[in-house]
Amino acid sequence: MGVMADRLGASLDTPVSTREFSCWMASEQKRIFLLCRRLLQDVDEADSASQDTFLKAWQALNRPGFNELEDAGRWLTRIAVNTCLDRLRSRRWQFWRKRPNPDDEKTILDLAAASDPNAEDRVLAAEISRRLESALSRLSLRQRASFTLRHYEDRSLAEIAEILDLDIGTVKVHLFRAIAKLREELHDLYFRN
Amino acid sequence: MKHWTENDFKQWLYDLRDEDPHLEECGECRSEKDRLQMVRARMTGQPEISQDFLAAQRRNIYRRLYEPRRNWFTLRWALPVAMVLVMVFGLTLQRSRRPAANISDEQLFSDLTAIEQSAEPKAIAPMHKLFEE
Repeated sequence: MGVMADRLGASLDTPVSTREFSCWMASEQKRIFLLCRRLLQDVDEADSASQDTFLKAWQALNRPGFNELEDAGRWLTRIAVNTCLDRLRSRRWQFWRKRPNPDDEKTILDLAAASDPNAEDRVLAAEISRRLESALSRLSLRQRASFTLRHYEDRSLAEIAEILDLDIGTVKVHLFRAIAKLREELHDLYFRN
Repeated sequence: MKHWTENDFKQWLYDLRDEDPHLEECGECRSEKDRLQMVRARMTGQPEISQDFLAAQRRNIYRRLYEPRRNWFTLRWALPVAMVLVMVFGLTLQRSRRPAANISDEQLFSDLTAIEQSAEPKAIAPMHKLFEE
């Protein structure tokens, strides 16, 4: 990512090569896919949204007059979040959509190899994580995006505000409401013992 | 000073509350803060994703990078034009089904002559009816 991020930080006087883009994509791919999956809660859609994200990034990078970027990762996150929010908005009309099959997800996503040596704890942790992820569907689109960026990506409020094109006060309100709605899951996550 | 509550810690974890002197002074709250930070780090770690899946996704992206773009923008006029055509077709169909008035030229001529030759305006004819026995 370093080379590509440096190149994006400086002014792009020559087009980005496929090789540079590939290296950058490989380093960001997993993060972007997980972000899309958490926002969309559907592996197939997250796969498609991740592809769209990198495609949009590539097209933007090769557009004449593309300006330098302060933070390539944040820029890519912004593209991914907007792509997912667009999909979620259009999904509201697709009431006939089938629910994703949890077994399909399991084949793609293995459990996190936690450092905790206790297998029982690991299973419990994975279960709480799954509960929290599925509880995200209870949140509004912006609450979900704000919470996902803060909880999973550890973004600051200022970064979230920039990514979502909101002011910090609004992000705080969304986060506050998200935490209230996820009260039970967060209690089990942090305070269950 | 009171100990931090579960709610205080939750808000602090999500950047909605600043630390205060109590958190540094109180050993109990400080150790709880450290514990929560560890839990968060452990729980929010990225799960493993199958390398085959990621490789397949990359292959799809490469394929799409060089695929000719379908430019739907150039077809933006197609839908409004289609709608106008449907409306024109519908109106034409409706007009063609309306029954034509079956009246001969002679009949039309005699009707018009009767109207023209009448001394009274046609509008007062109903009033005449009121006084007829």
